[in-house]
Amino acid sequence: MKIHTYEKLWLGAAMVLIVGFIATITYGSVGLGITMIGDDEPAIEPDALDEDERFADPRVEHVGENEYEAYVVARTFLFQPDPIEVPANSEVTFYVTSTDVIHSFSVVGTNTNTMVIPGEISTMTVELDEPGEHGVICNEYCGSGHHNMEGELHVVPEDEFDMTELEVEADDEVAEGDEVALNVSIENGMLDDLETTIEAEIGEETFEEDVTVEGDSTYETTITVDAADLGEGDHDWSVTVDDYEDSDTVTVVDELEDDGDDENDGGDGDE
Amino acid sequence: MSNTFVDAYPRQSRLIRQAFLTSFVALGVGAFFGLLQALHRTDIWRPIESSTYYTVLTGHGVFLVVSFTIFFLVGVYQWAVTESLEREPVDMRFTWFWYGAMVFGTLLAAIAILAGFTDAIDISADVLFTFYAPLQGHPLFYIGLVIFVVGTWLAGADWFRTWWAWTKDNPDKRIPLPTFMVLTTMIMWYISSIGVAASIILFILPWSIGLIESLNPTLTRTLFWYFGHPVVYFWLLPAYLLWYILLPKLSGGRLFSDPLARVVFILFVLLSTPVGIHHQYLDPGIAEGFKYIAMTNTMFLLLPSLLTAFTVVASMEHGARQRGGTGYLGWLKALPWREPAFTGMALAGLVFAFGGFTGIVNAGMNINYLVHNSLWVPGHIHTQVGTAVALTFMAGSYWLIPQLTGNRLVGRGVALFQVLLWFVGIVFMTNSMYRGGLIGMPRRTAEPEYDGFEYEIAAGSVGELNVQLALGGVLLFVSALLFLSLMLLTLFNNDSEPIDERTIPAPLSGPEDSPAVLDNLKLWVAIAAVLVVLAYVVPLASIASRGGLFGPDVSPFPVSLETIVSVQFITTVAESLLANLGR
Repeated sequence: MKIHTYEKLWLGAAMVLIVGFIATITYGSVGLGITMIGDDEPAIEPDALDEDERFADPRVEHVGENEYEAYVVARTFLFQPDPIEVPANSEVTFYVTSTDVIHSFSVVGTNTNTMVIPGEISTMTVELDEPGEHGVICNEYCGSGHHNMEGELHVVPEDEFDMTELEVEADDEVAEGDEVALNVSIENGMLDDLETTIEAEIGEETFEEDVTVEGDSTYETTITVDAADLGEGDHDWSVTVDDYEDSDTVTVVDELEDDGDDENDGGDGDE
Repeated sequence: MSNTFVDAYPRQSRLIRQAFLTSFVALGVGAFFGLLQALHRTDIWRPIESSTYYTVLTGHGVFLVVSFTIFFLVGVYQWAVTESLEREPVDMRFTWFWYGAMVFGTLLAAIAILAGFTDAIDISADVLFTFYAPLQGHPLFYIGLVIFVVGTWLAGADWFRTWWAWTKDNPDKRIPLPTFMVLTTMIMWYISSIGVAASIILFILPWSIGLIESLNPTLTRTLFWYFGHPVVYFWLLPAYLLWYILLPKLSGGRLFSDPLARVVFILFVLLSTPVGIHHQYLDPGIAEGFKYIAMTNTMFLLLPSLLTAFTVVASMEHGARQRGGTGYLGWLKALPWREPAFTGMALAGLVFAFGGFTGIVNAGMNINYLVHNSLWVPGHIHTQVGTAVALTFMAGSYWLIPQLTGNRLVGRGVALFQVLLWFVGIVFMTNSMYRGGLIGMPRRTAEPEYDGFEYEIAAGSVGELNVQLALGGVLLFVSALLFLSLMLLTLFNNDSEPIDERTIPAPLSGPEDSPAVLDNLKLWVAIAAVLVVLAYVVPLASIASRGGLFGPDVSPFPVSLETIVSVQFITTVAESLLANLGR
């Protein structure tokens, strides 16, 4: 075959260029550790996500010192949870799946970007060093409301981040002869112990209790006060744990209307 | 007395004119949809609801990359085969049959898409050109696509048949280069379009009719991309044919190397298909190793395009020197820049070179994560298909249409302005798209600005990007209209002088400089098949075994409001439309 000398040179240079590209990309993978979405997780039933222990309740979990796992569900046309909150200086592994059509989970302006295909779980581990708020969008057309599909990723400064959840249950109405009881439950989602103080107020009365909530567990306690001490009428109460507060009003009545036979469970004070 | 193609082959010219006409109608509709999108996305003018944007987007994609490009391809290839073999098809009725099938398929798909604009008919197919299941369009859409693809298969069979008839009369001759390009393109097309045909016929169509209840979205998606990358070369190779065959002549010279042109087309046969997974770098359920293999194969696909760059530029330089050009770069001035066919193709080649490098970014698997599905990607598509291909087709038409009609091109000066306008338009539009993609703006969305965050842009502003995109879109639309007007005027032009001589000068280095093995098509088919098997059997088996052949139990997500209703009625309408068109 007759090939012009210049063309041979060009051919050689083209091959060098190609091999060079492959080498730099391989270096990015192996040397810098920029991994891709793979097939690490087994397939999943997209119609049965609500029975899956990871995706029934989409959430963030603390799994190691600075390690978190986020279980995210994409569906037309939203992401759950929203926002996703994680601390700065952490390593977060996202597990994302779809319950209906193909979506994407794309943190805008970053290379945290994956297709989300029903039946498959996309996993990627991301180092989040700086605090900040990022937009999360679906960049794969998923139907007529595609352009409304967005969420947020909040990278919170480490000292402001916790995974505490406060829940208080109390009766709405209490007979004057009974006790007003605030059933407090503090859930600590972090692996480390949470040392904190429960501060409560009912009417004029105040309470304070120092507690230690062990990692990945829930602490429950009940604060009681005699209804008679409060007197007939409406009394505001509140419970505060760190930055979390729950509050409502209890009414002390002379006698409960339905003879107090069954528990009048009213609403819990949860907002 | 002129010596045009239509004088020599009036029956062929009629068919090719018809194919080009269909192609240009699709171009007109698709370009108008493109204009709507450019203005809607940027929130400059929103005459439609944002939910209707996706109907427009589906039409833009299908009409331009399926109808416009492929009807043009069959026209050019019919011309190339006839001209280079100096021979007509064995049976012209068969030729009209495949053309009819392609038109019929297009009409069915078009009805399914366009019905999405009205609530009066319960049909729609807002599934975009990629129709990823479980998004579900009306069955008519899928049926139309299948008929269209079968039509192209028959077209290929027709060209092979003509060539076989020719070999009987010319047993020891090398395959003429244009026919070689046609046959190799079609081999690539047969190997690759099997994927989309399987995806539709085995899974998506029965599922859309309700014969099967579910499918495996990763599997149908992978089969789509098995076809989805080579289809890009199906659009591109007719442009390559024009660059190799016509551009050297327009430059005033001859093709630099026939052997290398053959090597280039063989490389496309071998490498076009085993790369499709590079569109799925971000897909879960496909192991990283398969993605790596696709990446390396893709990088080697640079080779035929780099070789083409050399040959085309060398041919142009040769032409320029024949015209009296001198100096290292001074010869550039001697090129026929006033000739719209030449200038259009040269600009298309320039844009293609730039766009090729953006394609390397896409192909770089880990860099791809930054730009995947961002506006960067349509930026790449519009430089490659929207300019390298489309502008070459338009420029080529300025030379071909006079050959096919015997009418002198109307408005050569306007034509020159038209190709320049396209170039300017694409520079504005894709500049905005590439930059928008880098800040994370998504593609394929009616409203790229969100409530929860603002794009962080280092230079310029989102407003400025929007203006550039809209301006580019408007310029491109005006340019397309100018082109179509000139084509129409030329069609009805009674003036027949002057028209360029139709003969193509022989290459500087002819086929005798290359080994005959290059023409052994069976060998290349066999090697291509082995490469496809190596690249795809294991990934496909893995995907099917993970999610099941018919998938996890995922419900269809109809984008069409109502399926199956009145298929009968629509078929009747389509048939009568076709009958009218055939007249």
